[in-house]
Amino acid sequence: MKRITIDPITRLEGHGKIEIFLNEEGEVENTYLQIPELRGFEQFCVGRPAEEMPRITNRICGVCPEAHHMASTKALDALYHVEPSSAVNKVREMFYSSFYVTDHTTHFYALGGPDFVVGPDAPAAERNILGVVHKVGVEIGKEVIDCRIRNHHVIKIVGGRGVHPVAGMPGGWSKAISKEERDEIESIARKNVDFALFSLKIFDEIVLANQAYVDLILSDTFTHKTYYMGTVDEKNCVNFYDGLIRVVGPDGKEFVKYPPKDYVKHVAERVEPWSYLKFPYLKDVGWKGFVDGQESGIYCATPLSRLNAADGMATPKAQEAFEKFYETLGSKKINGRYEPVHFRLATHWARLVELLYAAERMLELITDPEITDPNVRTVVTNTPDEGVGSVEAPRGTLTHHYWTDDKGILTKVNLIVGTTNNNAPITMSIKKAAAGLIQKGTVITEGLLNRIEMAFRNYDPCMSCATHSLPGQMPLEVIIKGPDGTILERLSQFTD
Amino acid sequence: MKTLILGLGNPILTDDGIGVLVAESVRSMLPSKTGIDVAEASVGGLTLMESMVGYDRVILIDAIHGRDQKPGCILRMTLAELRALSPTQHTASPHDANLVTAIELGRKMGLQLPENIVIFAIGVENIFEFGDRPSPTVAAAIPLATEAVLREINHNDEEALWSHLN
Repeated sequence: MKRITIDPITRLEGHGKIEIFLNEEGEVENTYLQIPELRGFEQFCVGRPAEEMPRITNRICGVCPEAHHMASTKALDALYHVEPSSAVNKVREMFYSSFYVTDHTTHFYALGGPDFVVGPDAPAAERNILGVVHKVGVEIGKEVIDCRIRNHHVIKIVGGRGVHPVAGMPGGWSKAISKEERDEIESIARKNVDFALFSLKIFDEIVLANQAYVDLILSDTFTHKTYYMGTVDEKNCVNFYDGLIRVVGPDGKEFVKYPPKDYVKHVAERVEPWSYLKFPYLKDVGWKGFVDGQESGIYCATPLSRLNAADGMATPKAQEAFEKFYETLGSKKINGRYEPVHFRLATHWARLVELLYAAERMLELITDPEITDPNVRTVVTNTPDEGVGSVEAPRGTLTHHYWTDDKGILTKVNLIVGTTNNNAPITMSIKKAAAGLIQKGTVITEGLLNRIEMAFRNYDPCMSCATHSLPGQMPLEVIIKGPDGTILERLSQFTD
Repeated sequence: MKTLILGLGNPILTDDGIGVLVAESVRSMLPSKTGIDVAEASVGGLTLMESMVGYDRVILIDAIHGRDQKPGCILRMTLAELRALSPTQHTASPHDANLVTAIELGRKMGLQLPENIVIFAIGVENIFEFGDRPSPTVAAAIPLATEAVLREINHNDEEALWSHLN
């Protein structure tokens, strides 16, 4: 049996690798994405007061601390049985929308975008944000940086601290928004809406106008028909902050809709001997292995999944962009809702539709009269016991579940992070991309590295939550080993 | 010279937070009114670059984990060397750009970024286990790393500094 190892971490040791196993016929038998385990999170938390969790969990990773902060804060609401006021929810959701604008912007321009804007076959050294700026102009680079800086400013003034916010507390938010701050944030939100529209225009002009890119998006290599998960509001529109978890099938029909606290009734976790990361799947469908289709319980939770799981977007311009997305990709409406889009590379486009929604939602909330309500704290009087909090992290549904004694000291902690939901789909996508390039023992080396990178990059996997940092732009190394373990070929791609 | 000393790392991931601890130690040794900012961050890439805007000089303190770096060792690198050598733990980010690319981008965008960027990297061993205290070998490097940073602030005579430390 031939064994191919793709080690994305040649310069940071011990951080993970992809292994591809070929069968006797030389076809891809299995692929494994292996990431080392971060140990001892639960032990670290147990014995600490639960109210520290929004500030502890936002240290889990440097990528989406805001998402952990928010899921944790909502878990405290449930734990202490305290309902946040409508003003508190608006402040939190406005803050969270601002975070989404910066996170989705960064992914599109710095990480996902280079494949399309610079081109999937461009030299690796150019497939980064500098390459994007070179192609689309310095002015756009400035817009990207401005967008990040102005939203980080909002995160800082509303969240109480830059990057790692501190404002979340059970049933409340430690700091109200002043009228002056409101005015400043409103002008930032308006700029965000313009920027999101502009980003969709770039996608139109550079990606959709290029048949080769469209063919790539529509190609079978990057297609999987799975279940899709996302949080929806009472009208079944996408919501990042709060709502019910809705799952639709590959056929587009609603499979289940449940409150986040019921996640254990619907989601089970498969353990594989070769990976410490678990593989969540839908309990009521069952685990059928790494296969897609109606009979397989594998689901996906990404920007594409959220759009597929919803009936539409709650803001007008994003709704237009949503309709254009499905119409362009050939979805038909069945019983008033679009059929799901299964093309994984369309996730990049879906992310931009969400960017526009986040910007519009932020503007809607900051112009709401209640947003400057000074009463944003709630006195907690109930005895804590158990609580679940959930938000849509940019990378998928994020669930925090805490158990405490009656003094609020943690006795048990469980987290399902965004990327974990997508563990099985990521594994399938890597396998499919590899299978398309390795046939009858012939390894098509050209493009192998980038195709495999593209297959999992669209999920924006955040291994930091479950592991630690992968290096900047994934310098990849492929090692092809013969049956006796000797290295037949070594390919590498250093991108920085 | 407007100077920022930035300790990088995750303070609850055992050795990963060593940069933050060294920065805190440096802060405690500085006179109260120096005009030198000391901060900590658990970020990389673009956010790290953006945090340097407006400074003339930045001293980063980070963890490094690799084959060639023994736990507790102290390395001093310039930005150019960072490109050639192993990235430290937080100068790379899987979610945007690495620090070298981010700085290049920032300069292209006309951001006011420091000309003088020095990175002190401390060799680590345990970055896979949650814990708020570094392992003893790594913790033992704090006084020497603190001294190295203080000397960097006070002297720009790199040769002399390194002959002293080695």
